[in-house]
Amino acid sequence: MMDLLQDVFMRHAILATFLAGVTCSCIGVLVVTMRISFIGVCMSHAAFAGALLGIILGVNPTVTALLLTLVSAGILGPLADRGNFSPDTSLGIIFSSSLGMAFLLLSIVPGPKTEALGLLWGNVLTVGRTDIFILAAVALAIVVLLRLFFKEIQAVVFNREMALASGIPATAVFYGILVCSGLTTVASLNAIGGLLVFSLIINPAAAAYQIASDLRSMFLISALFGVLSGWGGLWLSCLLNLPSGALIIVFSTLIFLGAAAFSSLARSRRNSVAVPYLKGERE
Amino acid sequence: MGSKVCAILADGINTAYHGLPVLQRFSLQVPEGELLGVFGPNGAGKSTLLKVCLGLVPPVSGNMRICGYRMIRENVPFVRKLTAYVPQSFDVDRRMPVMAAEVVMMGRFGRMGLFSRPGPNDHLAAGNALDMLGVGHLAERAFGRLSGGEKQRVIIARGLAQEPRVLLMDEPTNSLDWESQRRICRLIREVHTDRKLTTIIVSHDIDLLADTCDRIVLMEQGCIVMERDPSEFRHCCRGQAHS
Repeated sequence: MMDLLQDVFMRHAILATFLAGVTCSCIGVLVVTMRISFIGVCMSHAAFAGALLGIILGVNPTVTALLLTLVSAGILGPLADRGNFSPDTSLGIIFSSSLGMAFLLLSIVPGPKTEALGLLWGNVLTVGRTDIFILAAVALAIVVLLRLFFKEIQAVVFNREMALASGIPATAVFYGILVCSGLTTVASLNAIGGLLVFSLIINPAAAAYQIASDLRSMFLISALFGVLSGWGGLWLSCLLNLPSGALIIVFSTLIFLGAAAFSSLARSRRNSVAVPYLKGERE
Repeated sequence: MGSKVCAILADGINTAYHGLPVLQRFSLQVPEGELLGVFGPNGAGKSTLLKVCLGLVPPVSGNMRICGYRMIRENVPFVRKLTAYVPQSFDVDRRMPVMAAEVVMMGRFGRMGLFSRPGPNDHLAAGNALDMLGVGHLAERAFGRLSGGEKQRVIIARGLAQEPRVLLMDEPTNSLDWESQRRICRLIREVHTDRKLTTIIVSHDIDLLADTCDRIVLMEQGCIVMERDPSEFRHCCRGQAHS
């Protein structure tokens, strides 16, 4: 393992998984607490379709992925807010359209499809300096925004309508969250992959949701789980010689299962403290 | 209305939802310090009325003034800081990582503005609101794990922490048992008097409104069709129910 650390690609991979772990899991906290998971799935597929469009047009895939993600955020926000269909139906239509578009574009990518498939599964061992720079910029932006607007975000997460009614710019905060979710997806595309990135957004945050007592600690626990997932998956990938993106997701799922078991155990212990009381009362 | 200044003035308000009219030429005057009850069947436009007062639903036509401020785009953020809103009981996951004290403090966030953090005055206002509603002991408990009545009291405390001039409550006792309903009603009356608020309560419960409010209006199909003092209102409604 120490030998591997001397390789530049491995150092890049460790840094990339750290940054992707922090960024994805912080956005995940917002997605999980606001129950907008499906919006995120739609955006990750839109990012994938956008990147494929870039490959076909011969433009930088990150730029086209970013553009298509921002466009989908601009459509999804108002649709979720005031669509004529139920939000589920509207999101279902957008999801299936972006998925269909992605596979259509995948089929017309000229020549070998290695680069395109790389965007689908991601490969953290091939990330370059530019990918790390983009990931670092997005991570920094998200951490700064969370710090600056924590109280507004907390109010919106709790109840958007009440936040708006009390004079908080809740709509702007919600749209900002969608845009940040899109940026995170695009920045993680090369390292984690368009299909898998959403698991890294959801799993660490869902694990933290089981055990955190307040939103601030949920962000910290989720970031820790995100980084652990990244590094754990990377380590397993080196050990088993299997795809890193998939193993990162497997590792994050194991963390989620562990947190859920811990939460359930803690709950049953709390209940068992209450039971003697009840028994005493009955007696 | 006497010589009292109107805290809420609606004049010929029309609103629509997906093209269907909700409030229709709706007019209402609520003098400062009044506790008004709004009664009516589902779909009468009661909740929409509160949302128009908050600028959450823009009227298609008509004029609305809150505390003298016309509800135009530029004034809406300012009016929202003067107006506290207690929504119908809403679904919060049991594991939502937010404590009761944090929920109450959220009532201060709109007043504080962007980039600022809660200061001593904000903590004092939130603490006073928690104590006034008798939920100070729940401050460090997760909001999602509180009982229905406790949640409702925390949400009302959140509204009071805002130090509003107008309090708008939508079905504040919905989904509570009879005893909790009575307790919340007494509390609303006390808070209204103590803080010299102007309050509107929307409810389906005629006894709750009659026991709590100064005046009650009956809404049907987006209009006020009857307006009485509480005892007369109860009498009229019971009479209509029997006939």
